[in-house]
Amino acid sequence: MSSVIAIESPKIDIRNLNFYYNKSLEPALENINMPIPDKRVTALIGPSGCGKTTLLRCLNRMHDLYPGIKYEGEIIFDNTNILSKSTDLIVLRSRIGMVFQKPTPFPMSIFENVAFGLRLMGINNKTELKDRVEAAIKMAALWDEVGNRLNENAFSLSGGQQQRLVIARAIAVNPEVLLFDEPTSALDPISTAKIEELIIELKKRMAIVIVTHNMQQAARIGDYTAFMYLGKLIEFDKTETIFTNPKEKLTEDYITGRFG
Amino acid sequence: MENVRIKSRVLKSNVIMILSTLAALYGIVFLGWILVSIIYHGYEYLNLDFFTKDPVPPGMPGVGGLRMAFIGQFIITTIAAFIGTPIGIMAGIFLAEYGRGTWWAMFIRNLADIVISMPAIVIGAAVYVVLVAPLQSFNGLSGSVALSILSLPYITVATDEMLKLVPKEMREAAYALGAYKHYVIKKVTMRVAKTGILTGVILGLARMAGEAAPLLFTSFNNDHTTFNLLKPMATLTITIFIYATGPYHEWHEQAWAAGFVLTLGVLVAVIIAKYLVHGGSFTAPFMYVARRITKINKG
Repeated sequence: MSSVIAIESPKIDIRNLNFYYNKSLEPALENINMPIPDKRVTALIGPSGCGKTTLLRCLNRMHDLYPGIKYEGEIIFDNTNILSKSTDLIVLRSRIGMVFQKPTPFPMSIFENVAFGLRLMGINNKTELKDRVEAAIKMAALWDEVGNRLNENAFSLSGGQQQRLVIARAIAVNPEVLLFDEPTSALDPISTAKIEELIIELKKRMAIVIVTHNMQQAARIGDYTAFMYLGKLIEFDKTETIFTNPKEKLTEDYITGRFG
Repeated sequence: MENVRIKSRVLKSNVIMILSTLAALYGIVFLGWILVSIIYHGYEYLNLDFFTKDPVPPGMPGVGGLRMAFIGQFIITTIAAFIGTPIGIMAGIFLAEYGRGTWWAMFIRNLADIVISMPAIVIGAAVYVVLVAPLQSFNGLSGSVALSILSLPYITVATDEMLKLVPKEMREAAYALGAYKHYVIKKVTMRVAKTGILTGVILGLARMAGEAAPLLFTSFNNDHTTFNLLKPMATLTITIFIYATGPYHEWHEQAWAAGFVLTLGVLVAVIIAKYLVHGGSFTAPFMYVARRITKINKG
């Protein structure tokens, strides 16, 4: 049983998706049908091991880095099925960015971190690089803190700053979708608040999907919320509806803390 | 009751501490003894002549030096390092990045472990067949090749292990930006693993610099300084072997002195490697010394 509301012209449309970590084992995701709306924040919630992160990593085909996996079904992005063999993963991943749980700055300067994706796109013109790096860092609300020390090693930043740097790096290439995998679970409350503000700011420009363990976070920043359980999508609706008037009994039990 | 239990725990703890301290002392005492006797026997011949003159034949006036061995050692190990380091690092990259999980990589990894424990003289004999017998002469180049083969598995294993330690998230973050594999390796994983790999390289090179066995069948020995890679070339290790087993007292003393210089060189290389691991930069050892000095001045 699942209850999924329809969305007009979604950015991404997931249709009958099954995912297997190992072809011979049970699917980790089963029959997922869900739209991802554009210019909105979609939060994925559910107990540990329910498949939130697995689903998120299907969207930029991160699973393909590891052998033995299998997708079934379709994920429609820009009128094409990104699960098809002919998908260019390099292009796909430059259009659908990702931010991880632990901050992952690369061992290079703050500037070079943000320029990483731009250089990959073949931008080597110094002025253009400088402008776009600056714009991305400003958009990530980090310029006031690092603007005068762009040549310092990225590891010299605090955890919260590193996470905003990583976001700056991801948005520098102007992705159309940005995936967040529990981006604040390793951060203190103040850094968390800054990241949340940033996400709300970013949704004006792109579709955002965020996996979170924290139901309050989903309620604070999610426009839409999907509740998952045991590899299945139980309910997808406006966040308000999910938290005040869920259609499924399971969702209500989870929201009210009866399990999880 | 409680007291008795605590007492027996304290006793156990003390016994283990004493045993492990004794084990550590056992190693340190012998190392110290070796170093002291090398210095004690060798210091007499440690002068400028020792480094700048070729040996004088026994019976003739003067003792000369071991210039030919210092120069030969330098040439042979340098060339060996230039052959072994890039091949070893690239093999390590293959194991950790491209061949990960394949039977082929497993096979190479096991092979590297076997070469590490293989007697070094076997490597010398193998190189003899390929590079000495066809040329009808012992030659320095074959010595370099034998030493590079010796250092290869150390460098390969170190590179492989260090790359495997790079956090999965770091790799994924780079791929998530749309990076190609070779770009991720060059810009991210190799940079993260750099220090560890460098340490492995230095340890591998230190290991090979102290080997005599693979050189017996390859570069052999020469009483005169030579820069010709296709002629027999002297090295410190072979010279120590020949001089130490020779009949003359001066030879024995000079062998000690050569041993002292070689040990010191390897020791310095290993110390630099250790500091690189902890400090992560070339300036770390100097920073460490500076900190110690300021501490001593304060205390």
